Amino acid sequence: MKHATRALLATSAVFLVIAPDVRAADLTVGFTLDADTLDPANHRKRETETILRNMYDGILTRDSNMKVVPEIAESMTQVSPTVYDFKIRSGIKFHDGSDLTAEDVKFTVDRITQEGAMGDGQTSPRQSLMGPVASAEVVEGDTVRITLKEPWPILPAMLPFQEVVSKAFVEKVGSAGLATMENGAGPFKLVEWRKGDAIIMERFDDYYGGASDIAPVGKACVDRVIFKVIPESASRVAALLAGDVDIINELPPFSVEQVKNNPGTDVMTVNGTRSFFIAMNMQGEYFDDPKVREAAAHAIDKDLIIDKILGGNAARIDGILSPDAFAASPDLHKYEYDPELSKKLLAEAGFPDGIEVTMDTEGAFKDTAEAIASLLTKGGIKTTVQVGEGAQLSDKWRTKGAPKSGDMYFTSWGNGSLDPYDIFTPTHKTNDRGNSAGYSNPEVDKLLDEAAVELDVAKRAGMYQQAEAIVNADLPYVYLWVPQDIYGVSKRLKGWTPSADSRINLHDACVE
Amino acid sequence: MSLGKLIERLIQLIPVLLGVSLIVFVMMALTPGDPVQIMIGDQAVTPEQEAAMRRDLGLDRPMVERFFVFLGNAVQGDFGQSFYHRRPVFDVIAERLPATIELSLVALIVALVTSIPLGVLAAIRKNSIFDRIATVGSLLGVSLPGFWFGILLLMLFAVHLHILPVSGRIGYSAEIEPITHMLLIDTLLRGRFDAFLDALSHIILPAITLGLPMTAILMRVTRTSMLEVMRQDYVTFAEAKGLSRRRVIFRHALKNALIPTVSVAAIETGSLLGGNMIVETVFGWPGLGRLVVESIFLRNYPLVQAAVLFYAVTYVLLNFLADILYTVLNPRVKL
Repeated sequence: MKHATRALLATSAVFLVIAPDVRAADLTVGFTLDADTLDPANHRKRETETILRNMYDGILTRDSNMKVVPEIAESMTQVSPTVYDFKIRSGIKFHDGSDLTAEDVKFTVDRITQEGAMGDGQTSPRQSLMGPVASAEVVEGDTVRITLKEPWPILPAMLPFQEVVSKAFVEKVGSAGLATMENGAGPFKLVEWRKGDAIIMERFDDYYGGASDIAPVGKACVDRVIFKVIPESASRVAALLAGDVDIINELPPFSVEQVKNNPGTDVMTVNGTRSFFIAMNMQGEYFDDPKVREAAAHAIDKDLIIDKILGGNAARIDGILSPDAFAASPDLHKYEYDPELSKKLLAEAGFPDGIEVTMDTEGAFKDTAEAIASLLTKGGIKTTVQVGEGAQLSDKWRTKGAPKSGDMYFTSWGNGSLDPYDIFTPTHKTNDRGNSAGYSNPEVDKLLDEAAVELDVAKRAGMYQQAEAIVNADLPYVYLWVPQDIYGVSKRLKGWTPSADSRINLHDACVE
Repeated sequence: MSLGKLIERLIQLIPVLLGVSLIVFVMMALTPGDPVQIMIGDQAVTPEQEAAMRRDLGLDRPMVERFFVFLGNAVQGDFGQSFYHRRPVFDVIAERLPATIELSLVALIVALVTSIPLGVLAAIRKNSIFDRIATVGSLLGVSLPGFWFGILLLMLFAVHLHILPVSGRIGYSAEIEPITHMLLIDTLLRGRFDAFLDALSHIILPAITLGLPMTAILMRVTRTSMLEVMRQDYVTFAEAKGLSRRRVIFRHALKNALIPTVSVAAIETGSLLGGNMIVETVFGWPGLGRLVVESIFLRNYPLVQAAVLFYAVTYVLLNFLADILYTVLNPRVKL
């Protein structure tokens, strides 16, 4: 036993000596996923974009209030409903020292939007994120003109998702090379990509400074940035508490107190962009009746669940849009918690003894779904939760109009652009890909179609608000909440704030 | 074993691989969940853009055609492009494989060096307190869920004692030029002892977590077989001859008692590869297991197919190795 103790102490001593040497100006992020690729035009993952956005800059970006502002562009002018001009700033350098020109911007847009532009006949998987872009041309040397096939007012809201690449570099290394190498114009440049483990970047000293509307303008503060991949949330929390990392994303609500109570760490939150709701199968046995849907809405005490299960880290919604989204209606009718009214409505619908239904959900949301089920049961809708896997449930419910089985589906839809186009249309337009309730109202379809191409901002907002009012009365879904994004941070971190679009921009972050 | 036998066994691999390919292909294709829908995520998209993505991934072609295209390419060593990484699946797997192999080997070593002495000790002190503790301990070892035990270790050694890191393979100041891509070996080959210790400190907790169930199983196998051997006539004879107990145990009994342990170890090594999926997730270990789990959820067909084929080959080869070891340890048995 003595020997064992001695051996343990000796081993500990060895590891104490070689404890990872953290440089003063290293900032480490404990992050859920690795990048799929380093090619900004060849992926469809938000996490990949979060990492890449620290090495690449966009034509436009967003400030902390989610306002779209120029980044690599100096200014944006809308010439006509389908033509936008972007004047490109001079003096921007790529990491290899070459100058960024309007030609690079045109090349970037073409690479994303044109058929087969990725090489080998492949089209960028990000093409659909750029809507009806027809072409990009260089005019007057430093201006890029983007022409649309039809009016698409959300182009400025979608451009921050795309990053500018160097034409010469891509032509040299090809799309295959760009998958593992980078030559961006962002605040950090790649040092090493340890696949599945970490992406290590260092400050780019010739950085032009970033968006002039977002202070501070200039070089990044820290010497190195490391995105360390820690998929398991308990391990991410452990890494933060142990001081191995300075920021972690997706801090689970049940760990918030633990992180707050730890002397060296704190919690930061920002309103998220993902709306949670329950789809009710409008072609199904019970929920084809509006009274039954209303009964469900009155049976759920959203505020209680937000308070008790989500730790207060969510904003209540009564329509599909986040309170921060463009055109969100502030005064939608609220279906308040009233289980007696639910029972009465069920009786009126011909179910005086209540109904028995199932609710599908993914494993990650089982606890919340169980809480909702018990509330529904109290209101006369005896609900059993069925846990399924994400892709399988999506197949079952998002049938694009084909008949579906099932009663209720607890699910969500993200809205990174905070524009209704990306969330309202797919979830509410007849037979659209996210319409899991099977909702169909020609009037709403017409409003959604017209709003998508309406350029008058006030008129467009009015259309969406009108559609929200109709949907609020039709009630295809019980709208629940928009959870906040929760980050755990080290107290040595300064100058960083989380951003509502889930990006982790480290340009302004410093460590003490 | 003759060369003929070796070739015969390798030929037997062919129907196994064909069968595995077919089963995995059909299972993936029939599992609900559309790779294109998953990839598009929560976005508005036109039917034309969706069709273009499907075409780019080769998913617009009929299933039977896709299967034969896959087989035809696989025979030439081309397993296709990963839907998400947009690089050859072979490259993506090859990058992750060394981490998994290294972790599995260290876990195997941990399991062997702890299970055999414990098993022998439990056998020769049968029914003692030690034996009982070891038996209960091995039961726990088999039953403790890896993700729970791993997090427990993390909380103790990384968060409270601060002596081991939470995740990863090596620190960020210990960059070494890879040779074998197994960091414990590469750091030593490059003469970087500091980096070796750094890598070692990263691998300890995942290796213990991964090796624990195997340790438990091997300990029980060793104990049982040791007890059996100790009852054999030749052991009684050796003791009657007046040989020391130590000599009887280590020279005569142990060698024969280890035969089942070795074959079980070889087969269990295959299951280490499976256990990796959980351990790699908990410890952020950049191995193949985690990649495969992520790929299954994303319906990244090409990657899952290639990885499962790799697992199948490994399993078959390890079983084969177990057979060979068996004949070496016990010359009376011929393949």
